Amino acid sequence: MINSILKYGLISVLLILFQVLALNNIQFSGYVNPYVYIIIILILPSLTPSWLILVIAFSTGLIIDLFAGSPGMHASATLLAGFSRPYVLRLIAPHDGYDPGSSLSMVSYGFRWFVIYATAIVVIHHSALFFIEVFRFTDFFRTIFRILLSSFFTLGFVLLIEYYRKGR
Amino acid sequence: MRNLLNFLLKYNNLIVFLILEGIAFYWLTNGNAYHNSRMVITVQGMTRGMEARITNAKNYLSLRVVNSELAEENSYLLNRLEQLSTEQDPGFIYVKDSIAGQQYNYTPARVINISVNKQKNFITINKGSLQGIKPDMALTEGQNAVGLVVGCSRNFSVAISLLNLDFRLSSRLKSSGYFGSLTWDGRNPRYAVLNEIPQHISVAQGDTVETTAFSAVFPEGIGIGRVSEIKKSGSDFYKIGVELFTDFSQVQYVNVIGNLLREEQLELELQYQ
Repeated sequence: MINSILKYGLISVLLILFQVLALNNIQFSGYVNPYVYIIIILILPSLTPSWLILVIAFSTGLIIDLFAGSPGMHASATLLAGFSRPYVLRLIAPHDGYDPGSSLSMVSYGFRWFVIYATAIVVIHHSALFFIEVFRFTDFFRTIFRILLSSFFTLGFVLLIEYYRKGR
Repeated sequence: MRNLLNFLLKYNNLIVFLILEGIAFYWLTNGNAYHNSRMVITVQGMTRGMEARITNAKNYLSLRVVNSELAEENSYLLNRLEQLSTEQDPGFIYVKDSIAGQQYNYTPARVINISVNKQKNFITINKGSLQGIKPDMALTEGQNAVGLVVGCSRNFSVAISLLNLDFRLSSRLKSSGYFGSLTWDGRNPRYAVLNEIPQHISVAQGDTVETTAFSAVFPEGIGIGRVSEIKKSGSDFYKIGVELFTDFSQVQYVNVIGNLLREEQLELELQYQ
């Protein structure tokens, strides 16, 4: 238990560092901004109480905001992703339910399930984030395009990191 | 209390979410100038819309006051105009005497009773002898003739309407200057009849009919109506149908015009008749 918490904490720190030091400095044509730190929300164990998910999500967003100089944007978007996580999980639950102990990873529930799960959360997070960033509904389809493109890249990174975890 | 606790337990997820999201949005709008201005604009847009509606309603309720104020001001301006325009009499000496130069005096009044559906229609207005109204003053609405004051009490006056079989108004065609007498035939409150225009005059439909100053009641050139129908009766005169400018069923505010020089004129005329 303690071990897994420590491991989780380490992963979180590494992800946040990766996000703020590497990914935040990538400006690829203004459309692509992958936000990989969302994995922190994705891989929390399924028995985590929802209030704790919310707190973790909020704190993660807060830290990213502090580094990125974008007060409130990541916090609110990540919070929304954390809030919707239980509903998404309930929607795509496998036949024999969730194993309360294990983390929600590709190893435990398979590639297909994980892709669906990660896509749902990432799209929710990115939609909230980009719409909060522009904060208006003019240029609606431009924003949608940015959301889809960035979600695609974020998913790529998420799957890569998951493969890496699976391999270990 | 237990219900409340149950409620909080059941929705604790949502409550925590809302609280944290509130904090995030507070931070968002306070920390980002752009988001802050967008938020302010949105909120202001909503309150502006409400304020505009409230103001509209208030304005509508105070229309009566505004109307009477405007009527006051209108009369004041007409008085000033009268004073100024009569100064330019091409005399030998130019004396600027605003009281002596003024011929017509305007008083605003509100119509409190008017009829259009009788054969002899009268108008009651809310000003009387205390306000300086006397019989034989003219009634106009805007620039159009309405009637003639026939009787005054202390605070009210009764005027004979243009729509009265007994009323005859000296009027002329604006185009040619030929004058006749306008009466109402008692049929349609929108139309009157102009008689005594000789048939050798050319009259066209749409010609304006206006007052003359002959009776020393109306100022010259107050509008009455427009020629709508030209009939040649058996006599030497036309019988001209005039569509009245004034819609008597909608008259609310009138100007009472007093001719300050009327008595002098009548006195002088009396000596030679």
